[in-house]
Amino acid sequence: MSHFALTIIGRDRPGIVSQVTEILYSIGCNIADSTCTILGGQFAMILILSHPEYHDRESFGDAFAPLEETGLSVFLRTLKPGGEIHCIDRGEICMISVYGADKPGIVYRVAKELGDRRVNITDLNTKLVGSAARPVYVMMIEAVLPEGTTVEEIDEMVGALKEELQVDISVRSITPVEL
Amino acid sequence: MAVRDIILYPDPILKTVCAAVPRIDDDSDALVQDLLDTMIDSGHSVGVAAPQIGASSRVVVVDVSGSKLGRNNNHGQLVIINPEILERQGSETMREGCMSVPDYTGNVIRATEIVVQFLDRSGKERVIKASGFEAVAIQHEIDHLDGVLFLDRVSSLKTDVFRRK
Repeated sequence: MSHFALTIIGRDRPGIVSQVTEILYSIGCNIADSTCTILGGQFAMILILSHPEYHDRESFGDAFAPLEETGLSVFLRTLKPGGEIHCIDRGEICMISVYGADKPGIVYRVAKELGDRRVNITDLNTKLVGSAARPVYVMMIEAVLPEGTTVEEIDEMVGALKEELQVDISVRSITPVEL
Repeated sequence: MAVRDIILYPDPILKTVCAAVPRIDDDSDALVQDLLDTMIDSGHSVGVAAPQIGASSRVVVVDVSGSKLGRNNNHGQLVIINPEILERQGSETMREGCMSVPDYTGNVIRATEIVVQFLDRSGKERVIKASGFEAVAIQHEIDHLDGVLFLDRVSSLKTDVFRRK
């Protein structure tokens, strides 16, 4: 079965999910993984789809035209075989909270340090909060450490970043417990 | 004495309220032994509830003494029959997974400290105060006896793959 990644974004209003999923249901698409959220005033949907007969973008024809007519942007990507499968990461999983007075480069500097250590970011959210006069930037990162790297080592790494960026950063293990 | 297969959702037994154990006898003892054998055999498990091995009976076993999180604070191997949580205090979020719901984990809020009353394997009435990871494990397993899965309690879902050690 072929898999596709569908992203849709547009000004938030009630009914977007129903409008999108009605189309997917009517053309016989299965929704596998998906995440949908509000970012600013926009509603963003990211979905991994499968279809038993469709193999490329053309198979969908103009199925998404009604969405674009109501102001939504639609992007469809055909996945290579196996592109829907999540690689198993074996290391510790940690949550990194970063927050402080807003300034350029917070995301980049933290991501750079993590990337240099082959830490795999699996989830990242940022939000600008606080008043217009004193904006506060908050970033939450979930990341899988390479095998052999400990949460303590990442905690040490962020110590230097805290100084450099003048923000607060905390790291904690969120490796799941199996019961 | 047998290692039993772990029953996976959507088997309806996992959503069924289990019956109290009417008396401590050879049957209840055999069930306890199967639960212990199954928990020990899985290697990484810190608890198993009777419905997870196909018995709709109010029995769970818990042992967090071999896990990193529970090593320093536990009651060893616990056999818990007809349990009742008498008191709950505090709350803590932990990302839980369950052998009966593979490949899903989710953040669940549980009490950090509980007082539980139950019968042990020999039928003796016991009351213990558990805290930390042991308390979380006991609450998770007792939920199984009421047909409640961690999925009924999660605040967010992550499709992380378990790390099996």
